[in-house]
Amino acid sequence: MFAWLKSFASPKELSKAGVLGMNRRNFDIISQYNPRCLYPLVDDKVKTKELANKIGISTPRLIGIIEYQYEAKNILDIIHGQKEFVIKPAQGSGGKGVLVIKDYQEEGHFFTTASGRQLAYNEVYQHISNILSGLYSLGGKYDTAIVEELVHFSDIFKDYSYQGVPDVRVIVYKGYPAMAMTRLPTKASGGRANLHQGAIGVGLDISNGKALHGVCRDIPITIQPDTGADLMKIEVPYWREHLLIGALAYEMTGLGYLGADIVLDARRGPMMLELNARPGLAIQIANGIGLKNCLKEIDKSYPSGLSAEERVDFVLNKRAK
Amino acid sequence: MLKKIASVRGILSIFLFLSIIYAGYCIYYKVEYWGFHFTPKQTANIWSIEAHISFEPTGEPIKVSLTTPRSNDSFKVLEENTIAEGYKISKNKTASRLIMTSPAREELQDIYYKILLFDNTDSRGKTKSAAPATPEAPIFDEQKLAAAKQLLKLAQAREGDPVSQIIRLLNEEPMHPAVQAYLPVKTTQKIMVEIISDLLALKKIPSQIARGFKLQESKKSLSPDLMIEAYTNGSWRIYDIKTGKKGIPDNFVLFQRGGQSLIDVEGGENSVIKFSVLKSITSSMKLAGQRAKLLNQEDRFQYSIYNLPLAQQNTLKWLSIFPLAILMIVLMRNVIGLQTMGTFTPMLLAMSLIKTGFWPGMLCFAIIMTLGLLIRFVMSKFNLLLVPRISAVVIFVILIMQSLTIIGYQLDFHIAQSAVFFPIIIMSWIIERASITWEEDGALNACREIIFSLVVAIATYFVISSEYIRHIMFAFNELNLVVLFMVMLLGTYTGYRLMELKRFRPLVKK
Repeated sequence: MFAWLKSFASPKELSKAGVLGMNRRNFDIISQYNPRCLYPLVDDKVKTKELANKIGISTPRLIGIIEYQYEAKNILDIIHGQKEFVIKPAQGSGGKGVLVIKDYQEEGHFFTTASGRQLAYNEVYQHISNILSGLYSLGGKYDTAIVEELVHFSDIFKDYSYQGVPDVRVIVYKGYPAMAMTRLPTKASGGRANLHQGAIGVGLDISNGKALHGVCRDIPITIQPDTGADLMKIEVPYWREHLLIGALAYEMTGLGYLGADIVLDARRGPMMLELNARPGLAIQIANGIGLKNCLKEIDKSYPSGLSAEERVDFVLNKRAK
Repeated sequence: MLKKIASVRGILSIFLFLSIIYAGYCIYYKVEYWGFHFTPKQTANIWSIEAHISFEPTGEPIKVSLTTPRSNDSFKVLEENTIAEGYKISKNKTASRLIMTSPAREELQDIYYKILLFDNTDSRGKTKSAAPATPEAPIFDEQKLAAAKQLLKLAQAREGDPVSQIIRLLNEEPMHPAVQAYLPVKTTQKIMVEIISDLLALKKIPSQIARGFKLQESKKSLSPDLMIEAYTNGSWRIYDIKTGKKGIPDNFVLFQRGGQSLIDVEGGENSVIKFSVLKSITSSMKLAGQRAKLLNQEDRFQYSIYNLPLAQQNTLKWLSIFPLAILMIVLMRNVIGLQTMGTFTPMLLAMSLIKTGFWPGMLCFAIIMTLGLLIRFVMSKFNLLLVPRISAVVIFVILIMQSLTIIGYQLDFHIAQSAVFFPIIIMSWIIERASITWEEDGALNACREIIFSLVVAIATYFVISSEYIRHIMFAFNELNLVVLFMVMLLGTYTGYRLMELKRFRPLVKK
């Protein structure tokens, strides 16, 4: 009769496992370390990109931006000479409103999306118009559309994801990479790397980028359901560079608690896609461990005043021991 | 960091504590002095009684002495007004008589005495009062004493308590020969009361006369009816002198308890006293002002909600339930952890459900949502811009509501008519959000959001639909302060949400 109760953990058990809850994240961490005035730096991807380039974080190359409805028709000029690109809202969240064009035929204006869907010009125009009118932005305010280069993600993820762009999310606390996972799009997630849409989350060892634990829709898994690949064999290359992007993002924004979304480009290495001032808590499930103890340790014993590189090395050495 | 939280929490806790104390005091005050009740629709019987005294002066100085009602727990005089031009009015409090004096006059005299009586039926007969002195036995000659004793003996065979027994015996049809012999040829109510009183005195039961009025719609001028009040088992109980029935009959208002004559007029003749009685049922809140007046606390009452015009009171009554609904939302989101569409959307839905009624509202909501979503899906093919699209949805929702109302009226199906109470813009946004979520995150997430929103709305509905809770939140509006600090204190809650206990279950090591 009370079997359903078993699907609930007691607060004590969770606390013991070091799980960080939403309320505590908002109250103890975000409201303490992320001053609201810094949000615009990460909410607007155009701004984030500019800042990142200044500080030396590589990002996908910006092809063009469209700010006003009357400029929407300029899209054809902007993409002139481009074969493939991504159109996305500057203030979108959770991968909403991202249109990936794999193949663009200038003659006749045929667009092919990542999922192979054929789009006509007016459909793309419509999409841009939707972005500008704020359909995908937080609070529905007017937005800017960004056109940027398409990331050619590294082959190492090829077997693990179904379409879309797999990425690595690094949680950075006070400048120290604290936890990481890779998010792999599935058929169910519609090619998007969002866990709540059905993407797979695989927790990564912060010291070496190796898979720890996999989860899909909050259920532990070890095999990618679409491709059958063994998730536990994932080992993200250029791990130090990944962590360095996260550490630099702290310098760049001043946010004490942030999530850096990083993609691994086959030619250009790790590139930062976007930053998040309120990263979700699902990463704990993907890693199979709570975040609270980890943050506590950083509070307690990690030195302050180190440079980004020193912090990354500190993390790599510490965990390796 | 920890210290800071502790202090914020500490301050809020202190405020919460203070607000509870303040609310507690106000509740006590309102119940005690303004007569507020914890239950809604509590009405109090207010009687407006007007006595019209007229007499012809005889040319001597005039002195009119009128009995007045005596206030006690169950019986309060709220307002007293005397219209007696040129008379000097004084009050004899111990005998509770109103004395009006004037030099000699000539023409026909009219004096009006008007009171507003509050008759607390709840505490009737429950009021204990100090035992009156044992009545002196009436002075009877031997023959009469024997007859009286025979009557008392006979009475014992009748049903009821001793007082009813006597009354029943005296009123029996056909009359017992012993009764017939005892009673005078012509009896009036007054004589009857005296006889009963004498018989009771023989049994050492204290009794007194009571005057009151049987309210009759058709009659405007009344003469008072007499009843007898006897002291038994530690309290005064009132008896009908015709039937011996205990207690005050329905639609009967007591005017005078105990005391002597109703009116004495010196310096006048052919005096006539006529009463008109009006019963009005008012809520205990309306009565509060009168009570405050009696206690010389008008200022405090004047600046309260309850002194406002009724229309404004109703609006404020509606508003004063909002904080509780908001508290529900905070609990649902931050403690339970249900993700809803928009923060206060469920609350607004709950508010609509109150106006429509639960099932009609749910049905209407389902119809509007289904049709709205269908239309929205068709519309998504047109690739409209955001603002025109949402505007189109708004218009569609209005059209759906119109048709529902018309169809409902024609089919005499009142459920559908409640459609108009749903907030149009909110409904449109729910439809828009749902369809976007549907497209972006799949049907599963969209349905989950709708269902969670509904669950929160329903839970909120059940809290705020209770007439009882609504009444309490309005009558004791200081409770809103308590809710405020509860909400603020919840803002410092950093524990797990209920849904997280399930979500993070896999993280617990076995």
